[in-house]
Amino acid sequence: MPDDLLLRARAGHATAFAEIVEAHQGSVFSIAYRMLNNRAQAEDLAQDVFLQLYRKLDAIESLDHLGFWLRRVASNLAIDWLRRLPYTTTQPLDEGAEVAAAATDDDPLMSRELARLLGELAPAARAVMVLRYQEDRDIAEIAAALDMPANTVKSHIKRSLTALRSRMIGAKLITAEELS
Amino acid sequence: MTEHFEDELRRALRPVKAPAGFAERVMRALPERRESIVTPIAAKSTARPPNYWQRLRAPAALAASLMLAVLLGQRMAVQQQQQDEAAGLAASQELLQALRVTSQKLDLAYQAVKNPPEAETEENRS
Repeated sequence: MPDDLLLRARAGHATAFAEIVEAHQGSVFSIAYRMLNNRAQAEDLAQDVFLQLYRKLDAIESLDHLGFWLRRVASNLAIDWLRRLPYTTTQPLDEGAEVAAAATDDDPLMSRELARLLGELAPAARAVMVLRYQEDRDIAEIAAALDMPANTVKSHIKRSLTALRSRMIGAKLITAEELS
Repeated sequence: MTEHFEDELRRALRPVKAPAGFAERVMRALPERRESIVTPIAAKSTARPPNYWQRLRAPAALAASLMLAVLLGQRMAVQQQQQDEAAGLAASQELLQALRVTSQKLDLAYQAVKNPPEAETEENRS
């Protein structure tokens, strides 16, 4: 992405802003989809994120900052969205999400179950796990994006991994021996 | 192993593609011109700033009200103090007058006891 892309987008060039959307739509939509488990809602949320970006373009300092800003706003909007929903223990997993890259040694049943179980985590813990394992972000960046101390992020990861593992064992998708 | 499970999690959470036509829909949802949501610098500079006294009117009125309340309070306190002092002075004068009258009466009584009238002494003898 060229360095002047931001400047052109700020100046009102629609094509420059479209390039930004094209470059970041996968990340923003993925965060929204993993958080909400619903494609239509995820698309609405991702669209909100880019509309907010359009309004706040002047506050974006660099392309690195742009990526951070988008992940931060997408995660926090998704958390707010989930907190407004009536309480449900499990979000139904939407069908038809097309993964960006196919893995050769993938276990579709396990992947699907893990993604479903992720939907049972509390919104903040879910956001931490999505930023950590989908977006591959480090603890410091997750803490900054979600406005929480680094130790809280570590604690969310530890507890969520334990919960997911025990549920996978309970569902007999993995055995305790596989984990030891 | 923990790392194995984390790898499974990374595979399960692979990024998903945005729906086809997503970027076009975002672009259609944008306002016509970015200037319509961001106030242009030119508009900011040509807009007439509010008059200096107009901006200070509310704080000045508040300050004046506060000062008036303080002055009134002080005036009432002084008046109350003066009334209290006058009442105290009158009470002390009344007390002094009463003491003076009492003292005179006591003097008369003392004189009467010390120098009894002669006639009365003769009558007692007879």
